[in-house]
Amino acid sequence: MVAAGAASAALPGVLGAQQANTGTANVPMNEQKYKPVQLPAKSSTPSMSTAELDELEHHIHCMCGCNLDVFTCRTTDFTCSVSPAMHRDVIALVNGGHSAQEIIDAFVDVYGERVLMEPRKSGFNLTGYITPFAALGGGAALIVALLRRWKRPEGEPAAVQALPVEGTPEEMERLKELLHRDDR
Amino acid sequence: MILLGELSLWVALLMAAWAATAGFAGAYTHRGELIASAQRALYAMCGFVVLAAIGIWTALLKSDFSLAFVASYTSANLPAIYKFTAFWGGQAGSLLFWVLILSIYSAIAVFTGRRSNHALMPWVVPTLAVIALFFTLTIVFGANPYERLGWIPADGRGMNPQLQNPGMAFHPPNLYLGYIATSIPFAYAIAALITRRLDNEWLTSVRRWVLVSWFFNTVGIVAGMWWAYVELGWGGYWAWDPVENASFLPWLVNTAFLHSIMVQEKRGMLRKWNVTLVVSAFLLSILGTFITRSGVISSVHAFAQSSVGYWFLGFLLLSIGAAAWLVTTRLDDLRTQAELESMVSREASFLFNNLLLVGIAFSVLWGTLFPILSEAVTKTKITVGPPFFNQVNVPLGLALLALTGIGPLIAWRRASVANLKRQFTGPVVIGLVTGMLLVALGMRDVYAVIAYTLAGFVLGTIAQEFYKGTRARHRMYDENYAMAFLRLVGRNRRRYGGYIVHVGVVVLFAAFAGLAFKEEFDVTLKGGEKYQAADPYGNEWSFTSQGVSAYEQLNRQTTAVLLEARRNGKPAGVIRTEKRQYVDSNGNPTFQPSTEVGILSGLRQDVYVVLAGVTGEDTAELRVTFNPLVWWVWYGGMIMAVGGLIVMWPQAERRKKQAGYEAVLEPATVGAGGPAES
Repeated sequence: MVAAGAASAALPGVLGAQQANTGTANVPMNEQKYKPVQLPAKSSTPSMSTAELDELEHHIHCMCGCNLDVFTCRTTDFTCSVSPAMHRDVIALVNGGHSAQEIIDAFVDVYGERVLMEPRKSGFNLTGYITPFAALGGGAALIVALLRRWKRPEGEPAAVQALPVEGTPEEMERLKELLHRDDR
Repeated sequence: MILLGELSLWVALLMAAWAATAGFAGAYTHRGELIASAQRALYAMCGFVVLAAIGIWTALLKSDFSLAFVASYTSANLPAIYKFTAFWGGQAGSLLFWVLILSIYSAIAVFTGRRSNHALMPWVVPTLAVIALFFTLTIVFGANPYERLGWIPADGRGMNPQLQNPGMAFHPPNLYLGYIATSIPFAYAIAALITRRLDNEWLTSVRRWVLVSWFFNTVGIVAGMWWAYVELGWGGYWAWDPVENASFLPWLVNTAFLHSIMVQEKRGMLRKWNVTLVVSAFLLSILGTFITRSGVISSVHAFAQSSVGYWFLGFLLLSIGAAAWLVTTRLDDLRTQAELESMVSREASFLFNNLLLVGIAFSVLWGTLFPILSEAVTKTKITVGPPFFNQVNVPLGLALLALTGIGPLIAWRRASVANLKRQFTGPVVIGLVTGMLLVALGMRDVYAVIAYTLAGFVLGTIAQEFYKGTRARHRMYDENYAMAFLRLVGRNRRRYGGYIVHVGVVVLFAAFAGLAFKEEFDVTLKGGEKYQAADPYGNEWSFTSQGVSAYEQLNRQTTAVLLEARRNGKPAGVIRTEKRQYVDSNGNPTFQPSTEVGILSGLRQDVYVVLAGVTGEDTAELRVTFNPLVWWVWYGGMIMAVGGLIVMWPQAERRKKQAGYEAVLEPATVGAGGPAES
């Protein structure tokens, strides 16, 4: 990681605290977070193509402290040493014949669930996926119920709120005539 | 000027405190002199905040490094434009910028509404003053841009390179203008709730401000997408980052309000709902500010962590409490005689439109906060990234796109079968033909096919509306078609401006769907080597490296790679991508190296090249991406902004009359036995 520079280092702590040293993803980097992910090889044949490997890396979160996946981070931020290291682990696992699911599981075993770009659809995290749709379904049911309650029965004339109309008899007569003319 | 600015900030604080105190006391006791004094204090606060802001701008442009803020975010060799924009580049300055906009908005709102909203204004003023007081207190005691260092460094730390982009001049100010404009409708809502004057009058004043908020929020979000795309180098424009999400939430709620207000205007329904939306938009703006400034959620955009975020949490909770108490104690006043003639009506479709918009807002908020919730329950940290948001929001977005077309075609009150058939036949055929054509051409991505089918349908509905309106004018007024079209839009700005916004939405969705066909390649090239790849349209591309070069520029050291691009064997242009190491005025490096993406732009796709690294002397590690239809995102945003401007543009009274039917009752002379002479 490139140092923030002598000038900034010379400034007192108050400045350093206000503008954190950042990487491409603009969040503080912590390169100590890399942990090797290794499994004994199952075969000598790679389990997937390069394109599939790239796709798999889109589902693995780079642990340098950025918000990017491994593929995007390693191909964007050349100051990050975590994503290339994680990439090397993925390649080794692919070359060892491990499937995408086995590789994902191996990363979760080492880093925990936060290494996934999205939570697993199991346990409490399933509520993360269900709740928005459940809320929407509940909202839709509520709207249908409201519409039914508001709906006037067929054939019943519309309830017109009586508003006080002030006018001379002549004005009222003219109003009637105008409204009548509109009907024709 | 700097000292004057510093003093002005303190005086502005006192003015805000007085405007709040005298305002509430005056409104409660109906004492006119206190109400007037509060209004004058609000104007005075605006003047002093402007002086405080000028003081900071002066310090930034003069590089007065005795101020910690100036030394933290600028350096002597920073270009002047970025010294100017540094005002909102850091925590303390951005808070002052917030108050600056809020006080200007408040002064405009009070000045323009002092007569038309005579009954509400006594409560609007102190509500705005309380918001301003909170921000001014936060600045003075929590993050003061006038804080002194006690010594003067030779140079400042400089500005984060990613902020040294023209986007810095557009994205944050527009977003702030959008965020902060929600304060005015909120103040009106609070005033209407306190006074129990919850008829349609307060909404008329509020609608214009919600449009202001919506317009700037739209421009700010799209400008931010462009900035992220050209600057960050990860190849996209939206990453569902918590702070991006925070900016999206008020936009969604404002959009819902701009539709549901029509139901209240036309049918007198949805009073409770509309008050809730107006209040929610403001609260979500404050929530977004809390997320950005507390560091509670990891984000690309977050300011450095500080306790200021918790000031916002306190203010947010206080605001939620006050608004909830006011709404629940006024439920009787908000009750309306709702009556619906048919389930198939415009008002029913707007209810579903609101459900989807608020549903998307909920799912975005839910996904943003879910990592905290999950950790609290399972004691395990998780990441909620783009795959989650896309799974949840893409179906909802498509349903919303469908309603964008369906809503305007259904009549108010009741739609007959004949009416539905007449309105829907053409657009449905256009949509289906579009979809079938794309499938026949080989498109297999289900979401993309649905998106383009719906896009065809919605464009069909809009074209039909414009065609019918233009033809009607042509027949009625004997205008030529161009004139009829212009007058149709000009004299029904709200309706046809809204349709133009819908065109922008369709263009955006079409562009988003293009991402389904994005292709990425991981490439290593020595000088003179060539890489070949096919784009999503089947064109064969070759990229030949012209080598790696390193040189010094204005305030940076640059490492660049040039690629000669050819499409189907023909020259397509030269792409240059860079890594920049910014340096201070002594030539010492500041920050980490940053990326300058090379983009070969076109209407059909962008070729997006990022220099990921250099190995040896002349070997470049590159990512080459074919990004289809990206330009249409910016065009879609521009169309939406133009539509928004048309809707916002004041309609002259004379033209309003020409826009619709109007029966004029001439005054009758009592006892004359006939109509009076006109």
